[in-house]
Amino acid sequence: MTHLTSDQLVDALDGVLERARQSHLDACQPCQQQVAELAAVLRETRAVDMPEPSPLYWQHLSERVRTAIDAEPVAAGGGGGWLRWPVLAPVAALALTVMALAVAVPRPSPVTPDVALREASEAPLDDSFAMIADLVGDMDWDTAMSAGLTVALGAADRAVLQLTSAEQQELTRLLKVELLRAKS
Amino acid sequence: MTHGSAVRTAWAPAVATGWTVTVVQLSAPAVAAINVDGMGDAALVAASIEGRREAFDAIVERHRRTVYQVCYRFVGNHEDASDLSQESFVRAWRGLKTFKGESALSTWLYRVAVNVCLNRVSAKTLPTYSIESTDRFEDTRIEGAQAALLREERAAAVRKAIASLPKKQRATLILRTYHDMPHQQIADILGSSVGATKANFFHALANLKKILGNEP
Repeated sequence: MTHLTSDQLVDALDGVLERARQSHLDACQPCQQQVAELAAVLRETRAVDMPEPSPLYWQHLSERVRTAIDAEPVAAGGGGGWLRWPVLAPVAALALTVMALAVAVPRPSPVTPDVALREASEAPLDDSFAMIADLVGDMDWDTAMSAGLTVALGAADRAVLQLTSAEQQELTRLLKVELLRAKS
Repeated sequence: MTHGSAVRTAWAPAVATGWTVTVVQLSAPAVAAINVDGMGDAALVAASIEGRREAFDAIVERHRRTVYQVCYRFVGNHEDASDLSQESFVRAWRGLKTFKGESALSTWLYRVAVNVCLNRVSAKTLPTYSIESTDRFEDTRIEGAQAALLREERAAAVRKAIASLPKKQRATLILRTYHDMPHQQIADILGSSVGATKANFFHALANLKKILGNEP
């Protein structure tokens, strides 16, 4: 009968050799020797332990991972880095304001939503504030929150902190443009 | 209410009249903290994909030890193992959406870590040395620090021998020997068949025997 193949030698090490081949092994001295040699190497390999890191290390590793992920330009699963909730919440509030402006600005004749949006964004700053004041002037905080008009306290700060340096530079550039526009 | 008063005070001077206002509400979900303690891996993955960082933190916390151990067995030192562990989790974060839940999260993380190790660990053969005689390790009279030193020398020789194995053999040996992983799971992780996994395991042991001069 043929000697054990490499697969069968591994099965023998694992103790799952099929019965017919086990009968061969029981009677075959060369195969027994091979199994014994492999078992000895396996034992010695298994005996090599791994130094245990300090208990404090695990938290340190978590921190390292967190920091590295914070520096990642993309969200989990490859989505856009801008689409993180801490960023989305203030953006959603801003979008709400713009949409409210678009709807609220008086216009002489029916126009398309695009035109309304453009007109709204071009409306004088004071009018915009007046309109927003009209919107929220008599609204208490809970109502504003339930209407989605507010964001969590500190959300904007956290959003900015989570931006990558490139994103922060772009934000700075946009803010400067808006400041210059407001001054002019 | 304090907040309501503040809002009224802040906006009161600018209130205008005569406007027709339609409020359109965006449905942005509230960002409330979630309790990740009792959550299973699948729920944590789903929450992570939704952008819940605390959920991914929990995944890291649960699996960091295993990932580190795989990496350590590949490179044999703490610094590199630490770097590889970090990279494994960053790659897991990037690729989380590709995790379909067909295997356990731990298996998927093993795969990520092994791939990181296989890609990063140099393909070149590390210097190895053959132990010509094992007699001195069998001397039971050697005790205390000297015995410990000799044991550590031998362990270092085994680590070096493992490091010198071809990558697939090394990965198979590590997963099988130190993580007690079934051949089928190793095959899943390495993207090979059970037969190939067993062959790799056999050749890994045979090569170790040769390198370590462990002929009985």
